[in-house]
Amino acid sequence: MKRVSRHYSAWSLLRARLQGAGYWRPLWTGRALQPAYDVVVVGAGGHGLATAYHLAKDHGIKRVAVLEKRLVGYGNVGRNTTIVRSNYLLPENHYFYEDALRRYEGLGRELNYNIMYSPRGVVDLALSDDDFPVLARRGNALRLAGIDAELMDLPALEKFVPALGPRRSRRFTIAGALVQHRGGTVRHDAVAWGYARAATALGVDIIEDCEVTGLHTAGGSATAVQTSRGEVKAGAVVFATAGHTGLVGNMLGVPLPIETHLLQAMVTEPVKPLLDTVLVYVAPGHAESYISQSDRGGIVLGGHIDGFPSYTREGAWHRLEDVVQASVELLPQVGQLKLLRHWAGTNDMTMDGSPIIDRVKYDNVFLNAGWCYGGFKAIPASGAACARMVATGITPDLIRAYRLSRFATGHLLDEPGYGPYPVKL
Amino acid sequence: MSRSLIPALDCPFCGSRPLEEFLFRKTLPNAGEGHFEAVYLRVDSAEQSVEEWQHVGGCRAWLMVRRNPSTGEVLEVLL
Repeated sequence: MKRVSRHYSAWSLLRARLQGAGYWRPLWTGRALQPAYDVVVVGAGGHGLATAYHLAKDHGIKRVAVLEKRLVGYGNVGRNTTIVRSNYLLPENHYFYEDALRRYEGLGRELNYNIMYSPRGVVDLALSDDDFPVLARRGNALRLAGIDAELMDLPALEKFVPALGPRRSRRFTIAGALVQHRGGTVRHDAVAWGYARAATALGVDIIEDCEVTGLHTAGGSATAVQTSRGEVKAGAVVFATAGHTGLVGNMLGVPLPIETHLLQAMVTEPVKPLLDTVLVYVAPGHAESYISQSDRGGIVLGGHIDGFPSYTREGAWHRLEDVVQASVELLPQVGQLKLLRHWAGTNDMTMDGSPIIDRVKYDNVFLNAGWCYGGFKAIPASGAACARMVATGITPDLIRAYRLSRFATGHLLDEPGYGPYPVKL
Repeated sequence: MSRSLIPALDCPFCGSRPLEEFLFRKTLPNAGEGHFEAVYLRVDSAEQSVEEWQHVGGCRAWLMVRRNPSTGEVLEVLL
């Protein structure tokens, strides 16, 4: 077995410079798949890796495996628009996402890996006077919960985001904004790599190219998972497969309140600094859109889901057009840019827009799923809470509202307000 | 353009129309007999999805669309 990656510091950078290319080591090593584990986590994305990391670190569970069908970080942890924030209206959501944001603030230090957390501010725009009270209500709810939120009128906003200064070619007026200053962006791949590296250092096995195809059970418990590399005994199984959880539901024989939709994102060619915040807005006649500028200079654009089930990871053209139109209507100055890359991820869309972290069907099978558009920003909180649930058997207060039975009992967390559909009708 | 982008659907009344005229409503069949199953639960499939759509931007007909969600291919559009 290769030795794990070294501790990173200014000192290690200096030593690497002197020692040359041989200094750096793989971030996670390729230990062979063992025949039995205490916990098998399915899916080496953000949530799976964070869950495995916290199982090993907080609960001392040493025999943990993360089985991944493809590669570490192949799925949505590498396909999102890197935005982190906790400015949700519903208490169950804003406390949970605030826990995630607080963990993100210290995550670079905790993992000893630079995740490039940039608290540049998330700006929710009000495009009419009618939007203002809605944002004020959300801001008040956040401030009552001890989460930072600032309501800005137009002069203050133009000072805070100079790119939103008056332009004749903008199609609509801007009234103001609700700003969360601690929100911002995090280097998404670094989160996956950092968790993978830290988990490996704690003895977690990360097995890539290993697809889970079935579950062996006996008397209401899972005993093993069937994989493309043979049977693996498991004391507990966690499915952290958001984007393909509907298919896990098929495998378990449990219909879930989840549809799988595509969410697109795109980035333009790099330009000089234009935008040092994240803009979120609903332009008239368009779905919700968000714009930020990456450290490399590309303008990152994202929008609403495509609106029908798909596993293709190829976005629909009309949605791309909608996102681009909305961005040009808000920031006419980006209209001349070329799109450099465009991609899509498969999203678990639940019927109330909130996630599911719960036991499912068997007493030792757990589901960490249904992340809708909020998966990336939830990773640190989801990993810690899910690990605690698996290790202790007790559901932490923070995720009690995310139980699967809420759909049957009517305790929905309908943050987007679309009713029992992932898309606004 | 790849066919998996499904830029259009064939409406039985209106012919081939751009996708944004149509609205996906839900997958079929229902996951069970009761109201809860019909409203909240979904039967997912990677190979074949039978779906209820409406041509909201056209004749407003309710359509049954059979698609392959893994390739994006539209197999059938029925009234």
